Parts: sequence; C-alpha cells; structure tokens
Amino acid sequence: MKRLTLPPRVRVRARSKGQRRLRGLLTLMIALVGFGFLFTLVTPAPHQAEAGAVDETQIAAGAAIYVNSCITCHGSNLQGVTDRGPSLIGVGQAANYFQVATGRMPLADQGAQAPRKEPLYSASEIAALGAYIQANGGGPQVPLAADGTSATLRDNAAVAKGAELYRLNCASCHNFTGKGGALSQGKYAPALDQATDSEIYAAMLSGPENMPKFSDGQLTPDEKVAIVTYVQSAKASLDPGGYGLGGFGPVSEGFFAFIVGMGLIVGVMLWMGARA
Amino acid sequence: MSGETSTTTPTAEELAGMSREELARLGAKLDGIDLVEYGPRYVPGSPADKNAERSVAKWFVLTGLFGVLTAVAFIWWPQQYQSWTSDTQWVYALYNPILGVTLGLTILFLGLGVVTMARKIMPHEVAVQTRHDGLSQEVDRRTLAAELMDVGDKTGLIKRRGMLKGSLLLAGGGLTVAAAVPVLGGFVKNPWADGAKSELWVTPWAPAANGAKIRLVQIDGTPIRPTDMAAGAMITVFPAVPGGAKASDAAVMLFRLRSNEVVKYRDATHESFRFGDYYAYSKICTHVGCPVSLYEQQTGRILCPCHQSQFDVNDGARPVFGPAARPLPQLPITVDDEGYFIATSDFTEPVGPGFWENKGKYES
Repeated sequence: MKRLTLPPRVRVRARSKGQRRLRGLLTLMIALVGFGFLFTLVTPAPHQAEAGAVDETQIAAGAAIYVNSCITCHGSNLQGVTDRGPSLIGVGQAANYFQVATGRMPLADQGAQAPRKEPLYSASEIAALGAYIQANGGGPQVPLAADGTSATLRDNAAVAKGAELYRLNCASCHNFTGKGGALSQGKYAPALDQATDSEIYAAMLSGPENMPKFSDGQLTPDEKVAIVTYVQSAKASLDPGGYGLGGFGPVSEGFFAFIVGMGLIVGVMLWMGARA
Repeated sequence: MSGETSTTTPTAEELAGMSREELARLGAKLDGIDLVEYGPRYVPGSPADKNAERSVAKWFVLTGLFGVLTAVAFIWWPQQYQSWTSDTQWVYALYNPILGVTLGLTILFLGLGVVTMARKIMPHEVAVQTRHDGLSQEVDRRTLAAELMDVGDKTGLIKRRGMLKGSLLLAGGGLTVAAAVPVLGGFVKNPWADGAKSELWVTPWAPAANGAKIRLVQIDGTPIRPTDMAAGAMITVFPAVPGGAKASDAAVMLFRLRSNEVVKYRDATHESFRFGDYYAYSKICTHVGCPVSLYEQQTGRILCPCHQSQFDVNDGARPVFGPAARPLPQLPITVDDEGYFIATSDFTEPVGPGFWENKGKYES
C-alpha cells in the first residue's frame, strides 16, 4: 500500500486555539454521553419503579396518622421506644400493611401476642401510612390493588408447588391446612382463615412478631404467589370426607370417634336392653 | 350338675304325646328355668298384632331402599374430582358423605328392624332361673379338680415321661424360633461394622472423598448466598449430594440472627462454626428425632412439635424446656469462592436421639 503523503505542516499550524478547544470539548461531551448510555445498560432497572413514585401529599397524610396513633410506642422519628415498640426504620410498607390492615396495630394492649381485629383505618389511610413508613428508611413492599386493598396474587397452575413449599416452610407452625397452632408461652401461629392474598404475602416478607422473615432471595415472588395460592385453595376446597372437624387431623378425629361413636354405641345398647 | 330341679325325664311315650309348646317349656325346665309367663305378645290377627308387624316391616323396607340407594350413588353419582376453582365442587365433595350416609342408614335400619322385631313380635316371656350364691359347692369343686389331676396322673405326665416332656419343650422352642426369625432377623445387624465411618457417626454433610466441601442447598437444589436471607430468617437446607434432601439425618436449619442479638456459644470451637450472624443447626430433635422447625424469631426459641422441647438459638441451641437433654448439633459453615454457603466439615457429634454407644461424644 502506498504511504499517504502527510498534509503540509502549514495547515496544521493554521488551526486556531479556539478550534482546538472546541474539538476537545466536543470529544469530552460525546465521551460523557456515551458513558451515560453505557451506564444505564449496565445498571439493573430498579424493582417496582412505579410503586416508588413519591406522593408528597400522601406521605404527609401518613405522617399525620402516625403522629396521632403510632408515635407513643414507635417514637417521634420511627426510632422505637424502649419496652413499648420497635423501630420502624427499614421495616417497609409490607410490615405496615400487614400490621394495620389485619387490625393488629394500633395495639389494644401489651400481651403475649397481638390478635387480629377489625382494622381501625381505611385502605387509603393504610396506604398513606405505608407511604410514610416507606419514605423513612425504605424496606420490603407488598403488591396491592390500586385502591389500597388486597391484590389478587394467584397462580392456579403452581398450586402443587405452593403446597410443597408451604409444607416445608409454613406447615410446622400454621398447620398443614392453615388452621394455626400453639407456640411457647401464650404465643401462637394464627389461623389463616381470614387472611387475604396481600396479607399472607406481606407476612412472609415482613416476618411479623415471631414469624421468621422470608425475603425474596429465600422465596422468590413467584414462590410466594404459589404459597398464597395454596393457602387460599386449602381454604376454598370442600372437604371430600364431609365435615373436617377443624382440620387438626387425628387428634380431633380420634376424639370425635371416641366420644360420639362410643356414646352412640352405649346409647343403643341401653335402648336394646331396656324392657319393652 | 346342680340338684335344684326336680324334673324327671319323661318316657318315650310321654314325649310322643307332648305338644310343641309343652316340649319348649320342658326344655327350659330341664335347664332349671321356670317360664312364668310365655306366649305370643298380641292376639294373632288383632289390630295391635298387625300394627306391630307393620312397624317392623317399615324398618326392613327402609333397609332395602337405602341399600339400593347406596348402589345407585356408587355407580351414577358424578364423583370425578373438581378443583376449588369450580362452582360445582360440592357435587364431587358430596360423593363420600353420600356413600357413608346411605350405607350407614342401611345397616342402622336393619339393626333397628331386628331389635324392633325382638321387642314387638317375638313371644312374650318372663323366665326365672335359680342360681347358687358364691362359690360352687364343695363337692363340685373337689370332683372337677380330681378329674383333671387324675387324667394327668394316668397319662404319666406328672411324675414320669421325662423324655416326652423334654421333647415337647424342644418342639415349642423350635416353633418359637421359626416364628421369630423372620420378624427379628431384620434387626440383627452390626451398626458399627464401618468403625468411625459407621452410619450413626457420619451424615451426608461429611466432605467428599476428594476433600470437596458440601454446599448448603434448598430443597430444589438452589445454593444459598448470605444475601438471600433477611435478618430473622430461617431456611431449611440440605446437603448438595444425591439423595441429600431425603436423608433422615441431613436436614439443617440455617438461621440469620440480627447483628445486635446477644449470642452465647457452647465453647470456643463452636464459636468458630458460625459465619457472621449465620448459624446452622441440625433440624432433628435430640429427644426422639422429630423435625424441630417452629422458630420464634424474636425470642430465639426453636420448638419441637412432638413433645414441646424448646432450644435457644441465642445460647448454642441449648434445650431450655421439655424432655430433650442435649443441644442441637451445630454444623460448621462458611462460604466458598463463589459466595455460596458450604459445610466446612461434618457435624462434630451424632445427630438426633441418643444411643448407648454415644457416651462421651457430647461435650456438655
């Protein structure tokens, strides 16, 4: 290949200082914009970007509710109060939704366990409180319907997988059909009769009271939905044996067989032996 | 046997001349029973008699009806499974109860019919039988005992016939052994044949022959990174070896405690078994081997559902309540080059309930 002849030196010299500066500036800008695009490719998209949208009025409404009802035990800056209530920094909207939507919070009295009761706040008030908690420290979030009520989190095709995961992770405390069970010293794993999809999902995410936390790394959102599907299917399934006797298994069944069955047999015996 | 009846046996001519009722009364009398009242319950053909017959027949008709209903339901009821999403799952769910109710009523009505017949149709009778008080009479007891002993004496089994008795004993022993061997044979096995590698001393967590450490995986085989767990989480893990999730001594609970929790250790060795706030304990109760998995993440208690033993995860999984006497064995863990949890070695003590040879293997 023939060597290219160099351009005359005169032309190079002819370029002004201003031209060189402009060229350098342009190169820098192109490089910066390029890096910016490259960076957006490398950075993962944030999860639930929509849910994270900040609504200042909603947060202010949540803060107002917080100041009225929660501040006594959870502190003026959500930092918690010794012997009254834990810090709420980082617990996320999921913990708030579970505790307030199931009526456990505000707490009626200090005891071994906060029982489920009628919720004090409406769905929109709970959503506002959740936004306030979320705005102060972040944390796990539970999917909800647009109006703040429970979303439908079902995958009917995954019900068998959900049942397997339920038996491994949940059944030891909540019973294999979600009827609940006793723990130590007055605490208990509640029955799941009234629990909605979002409440079950939020309980797994936030680990209320003595329940362990099941983060998305441990049970993926799909697996959580499968578990919710199983719990709701177990509640909706009619018992093919007739009456389920509470679903507690052999204890109540044996008790029923012994008391009712034996009683019936003894009664019939007495009737047969009675004089005509 | 007892001399309480004075009835004499009638002659053949007398027997031939007796009516059926007289024979029935005589039979009872020969057994020492006096029929004070005996006869049909109602006048045959009277309205009361017909009523009684109808009331018995009613039960038998119902028996037949429900028997047929059982068969009809069994064959034609749409019993195919319908899932919980179907509006007509009650049709499927009713199949078993319907079979139970119809068959149960069939049997109940048959029983009611039989009992009603006994009470309304069978002859009305009041029978009186005299019985002696207390023991049998002296003469009866003496003669019976003598009869039995005399047979033994005359057979020679009481004082003689040592060979016969010995052979009988052998026969019985042989039969017992033959019956017991198939049942007990399965238990005859030396559990310590492999020495220190015997089954009770090792679990699937022991590093492979080439020294490769075993990963902690979820039941579906997913390996676990420390970031997968939130503080206050518990996850049941299994060794990443074939059949690891099914091995009875391999199930392990992996805990992530909160970093501000106060944790006590059994000793310096056990302190090194943890990885940061992560602790792995055997899921098999040291009492009788139930899976302990009721974890209270705030009190740090691990409850066993079988006999209410409680272990404190903040105190080396020491038993704090219930019948379990030993702490849950701790699995030494760390993370490998890729950041997944691995077991640095097998358990340092046997998993599950105690056994005789286990003496001294536990340090506390």
